[in-house]
Amino acid sequence: MSLDAELLAAHAAGDVEALITLYTRASEEAVQDVARGFYLTHAYVFALEAGDARANDLARELQKMGRQ
Amino acid sequence: MSTDLTAVIAPIEQARGLPNAHYIDEATFAEESKAVLHATWAGLAVAADVPESGDAKPLEFLGLPLLLIRDKDGDVRVFQNTCRHRGMILVSEPRKIEGAIRCPYHSWCYSTKGKLVTTPHVGGPGMNTHEAIDKDTLGLIEIPSHIWRDVVFVNISGDAAPFEDIHADLIARWAEFDQPMYHGGDDSTFELGVTTNYKLAVENYCESYHLPWVHPGLNSYSRLEDHYNINEPGKYSGQGTLVYRQFEGVGGKRFPDFSDLSDKWDEGAEYITVYPNVLLGAQRDHAFAIVLEPQSVDRTVEHIHLYYAAPNVDDAMRLKNTAQWKEVFEEDIFVVEGMQRGRYGPGFDGGRFSPAMDGPTHCFHAWVAQRILDHRQSHAVAAQ
Repeated sequence: MSLDAELLAAHAAGDVEALITLYTRASEEAVQDVARGFYLTHAYVFALEAGDARANDLARELQKMGRQ
Repeated sequence: MSTDLTAVIAPIEQARGLPNAHYIDEATFAEESKAVLHATWAGLAVAADVPESGDAKPLEFLGLPLLLIRDKDGDVRVFQNTCRHRGMILVSEPRKIEGAIRCPYHSWCYSTKGKLVTTPHVGGPGMNTHEAIDKDTLGLIEIPSHIWRDVVFVNISGDAAPFEDIHADLIARWAEFDQPMYHGGDDSTFELGVTTNYKLAVENYCESYHLPWVHPGLNSYSRLEDHYNINEPGKYSGQGTLVYRQFEGVGGKRFPDFSDLSDKWDEGAEYITVYPNVLLGAQRDHAFAIVLEPQSVDRTVEHIHLYYAAPNVDDAMRLKNTAQWKEVFEEDIFVVEGMQRGRYGPGFDGGRFSPAMDGPTHCFHAWVAQRILDHRQSHAVAAQ
């Protein structure tokens, strides 16, 4: 299953844990900064909402990029 | 057209009750609500509605969307349930906020203390800041709130004097009960929807005059002459009994008492309205709070909650006690709904009070009228 398909499936299932993981992976695979920032933002927002421990690291990544 | 309230604030011997328009006319009720329900400390909910950190419950108060939440440090707060971005409702169903409140529209996120934490893509894709968006000024709008006897009071207008000042006398009166009390849980709360203006539920609660007629079961042990009026003009009113009988379970088993109460409470109990919309009962072995939710000029939901002196009281007794109170409060429904229907009779002039028996009701009417008169006066001054 492609990353896109996995993301759609996670959205459909409301699987927040998977959304954080998959958007983080998407950010790592992104070539351009804009795309990386976009995916990191989504990973961060879902982590923040869920109280997931990864939120802090994701926020730091965005800050390092000047995007948070 | 403004109602004439002169007769309402007259001494009880000459007074008449609030005019019909305050019970049946939308415009009059809207003016009254600003003066009475928004400008004072009104009951919204109970803290037990959000027992754990992160618990959030959306509520409406006369159409105003509110969010009751227990923040991550355990403090109960009330916010407008509205995102500061495009005005979207933030929380639609009671739920636990695990981390942040995320707006379902564009995902602006707020902490449980109302701070705006992140604004995704606000500066363009993947850019979560913009110089025009100052997060520090865009937190959730917090409504001043105060908890007393587990009731969450709110001051919608935000300019009332502190709750402890306004209700200092009442707080002192019941100081002996200033000790832990425990909500009985899901089986110790119920709601009654009634087709009536909320003030009629207050009026009925305040007086004992109706007890022998409407609650003959109560009257078998609690006679009219065993009750006394509580009238504190401009402050609060209600009734007391001198023959409170503790609830008894099988074999005469009783609930634990609140600690170190004086003799007054051995057979005494008091039932007082915290104006404008909270009905409280204080008794040696359990307490209750009724938060009247005024949904419209002729529609009210009564939220009833029972409390005990210990966290775990006998299940069967607790259930029976809830059922017993429900029966009593249901007996009042035909009265408050009947008085509402009666208010559509144009010849009714607000009614006369029994100077001996209706003091608490007159006290409430005069308080409402004075709040409205003060409101009109402040608007007149502002207009000049």
